[in-house]
Amino acid sequence: MRRVSLATRLALLFAACTAVVSLLAGVLFNRASEAHFIELDQQLLDSKLVALRSVLQGADTLSLFTQREGQLREELRHQPDLALRISTVGGQNWFDGAPGITLPSSAGLYSLQSTGTDYRVYNAPLVAGKTDSPQLSLILDITHHQHFLERMQRLIWLTVGLSALATALLGAWAARSGLRPLRRMSEVAAGVSAHSLTQRLPQEQMPTELAELAQAFNAMLGRLDDAFQRLSAFSADIAHELRTPLSNLLTHTQVILTQPRPLEDYREALHSNLEELQWMAQLVNDMLYLAKADHGLLIPKREPLALADEADALLEFFAPLAEDVQVNMFRKGSAGTLGDRSMLRRALSNLLDNALRFTPQGGEISVSIVEEVQGVKLSVENTGEGIPQALLPRLFDRFYRADPARHEGSSEHAGLGLAITRSIVRAHGGTIRCESGTGWTRFLIELPTTN
Amino acid sequence: MKLLIVEDQPKTGHYLRQGLAEAGFNTELVADGTTGQHLALTGDYDLLILDVMLPGRDGWQILQAVRNAGLDIPVLFLTARDAVEDRVHGLELGADDYLVKPFAFSELLARVRSLLRRGGSAPQETSLQLADLRLDLIRRRVERNGQRIDLTAKEFSLLEMLLRRQGEVLPKSLIASQVWDMNFDSDTNIIEVAIRRLRLKVDDNFPNKLIHTVRGMGYVLEERFC
Repeated sequence: MRRVSLATRLALLFAACTAVVSLLAGVLFNRASEAHFIELDQQLLDSKLVALRSVLQGADTLSLFTQREGQLREELRHQPDLALRISTVGGQNWFDGAPGITLPSSAGLYSLQSTGTDYRVYNAPLVAGKTDSPQLSLILDITHHQHFLERMQRLIWLTVGLSALATALLGAWAARSGLRPLRRMSEVAAGVSAHSLTQRLPQEQMPTELAELAQAFNAMLGRLDDAFQRLSAFSADIAHELRTPLSNLLTHTQVILTQPRPLEDYREALHSNLEELQWMAQLVNDMLYLAKADHGLLIPKREPLALADEADALLEFFAPLAEDVQVNMFRKGSAGTLGDRSMLRRALSNLLDNALRFTPQGGEISVSIVEEVQGVKLSVENTGEGIPQALLPRLFDRFYRADPARHEGSSEHAGLGLAITRSIVRAHGGTIRCESGTGWTRFLIELPTTN
Repeated sequence: MKLLIVEDQPKTGHYLRQGLAEAGFNTELVADGTTGQHLALTGDYDLLILDVMLPGRDGWQILQAVRNAGLDIPVLFLTARDAVEDRVHGLELGADDYLVKPFAFSELLARVRSLLRRGGSAPQETSLQLADLRLDLIRRRVERNGQRIDLTAKEFSLLEMLLRRQGEVLPKSLIASQVWDMNFDSDTNIIEVAIRRLRLKVDDNFPNKLIHTVRGMGYVLEERFC
């Protein structure tokens, strides 16, 4: 089936409605005028009947009638469109002003057509109430009435056609202008590309029916824009992160190869290259891990874990490092949960690693575990300078480094640790957020109780 | 020890063979799955290193054929793909270990040695020794040159690992995994710190150093005579 545009559909519907309405009105008007004409004719014929009866009063035999015939003709001359026939009960015509027309025999008003002319016929006895008296048939030529009615009908059809056409055109125009917001919406949608995701539909100008759609559309654009921004920033970041070690590798290798050198220099160069390469491999592995998480491929095992034991194991792991920088680490509380041991250890290790780097000498790091009805809360809190509120939401972004002085390409990690932690927590159906105040920073993980 | 490597990327295959040969293994390299499967079934190998994506027959098909033939050779998979299903699939088919590219050669070497050791029944030692360093596994005591050395539990485990695998370069990730049960790419320098502390106790007061750093690769415990 061919698809008909909404505007055409509406225009055709409008036209059909108008045609039906005007046709009904026309038919009613036609009926009314016809009834009106019949009424007028009845009155006219009634008055004529009275006049004729008075002319023919007492002429109930043919001879008496013949005496009055001249008077009758005189009377009839005033009314050229009226003809008269007088017939007896026996079927004899005393007078016939319209020969050749077959008339109904009983009394009453009739409309009939004969040889292309319309007549109104009124049969009545010569003497009122006397059925055996000769019958008067008044024959009124009503051709002009009929003409009028025919003209009227033509006019009605014309009106129906024209008004339908007019409404179709007006309707098309109205529909098009009524649907303009939709068209604007589709224009915006058609114009959306990777470069124009910032475009939005003007929501406040939208009719109420479309406002919701526009809102949904804008929200979708917003999400796309956000995701795209992140993605392109991410790609740019990867390129940027890899550029430094790559350029180090290239330069270093080329410089080493420009002239013969002692063996030790080559070994040194290879070692240095190895460090860069390891850093890059780590970066690629972390990126793959995050990519897997993004695609929902990070599926945690569900083994029963005692979080206190896990935290203690990690604190033990970090203990040498913490002692080095004289930071006191401890754990309080305990809870059990279902989860992936090595993933959760990795998540927690990133938090501890992070905390250790930002805790000043002599500070402390506490891991606290709280079991609640809806799940477990696990937090890592460290003393030290707080993080400005504005930076908190960005902490979990990939490649975000709280300390811009930490240069890329160093042996330090690339700033993916917290992003990985968040991915792991999310894969477990939990949430993570960072809170900070003067002198403290706390990362809070909430894991739901799974059943 | 005879090893078969089935790897279709010439560079990777070449370096793997060179590295493993220099580590003392008798290594054969083939680049396609069909030949690989034939050799795996007919040659008498101690370990198979298989790439997953191969021309001819893929790594899984080779593994299946090997297991169907009733051979119990340890199989180590190398792959550029890290999908969970892949890992599960490989392990279901009877792979013994799995390394995802990019991996460090030291890591591969350590895993190969672990797999080869698994086959042989390790004798129940009561003590481990290298030069004048002696570790008593029963009393959990460490002595060097007759002098008692106090170690924490983890330091003891670390030294035990180094002693058990003396002469092998142990990558940091393997140490983290074996000693602390941290099975993830840890980018902290914790192992460095732990080794430094161990050295302080084990090596610093003695002229003959036993714990050595192999730059970019890991740590090794061995006697070196300068």
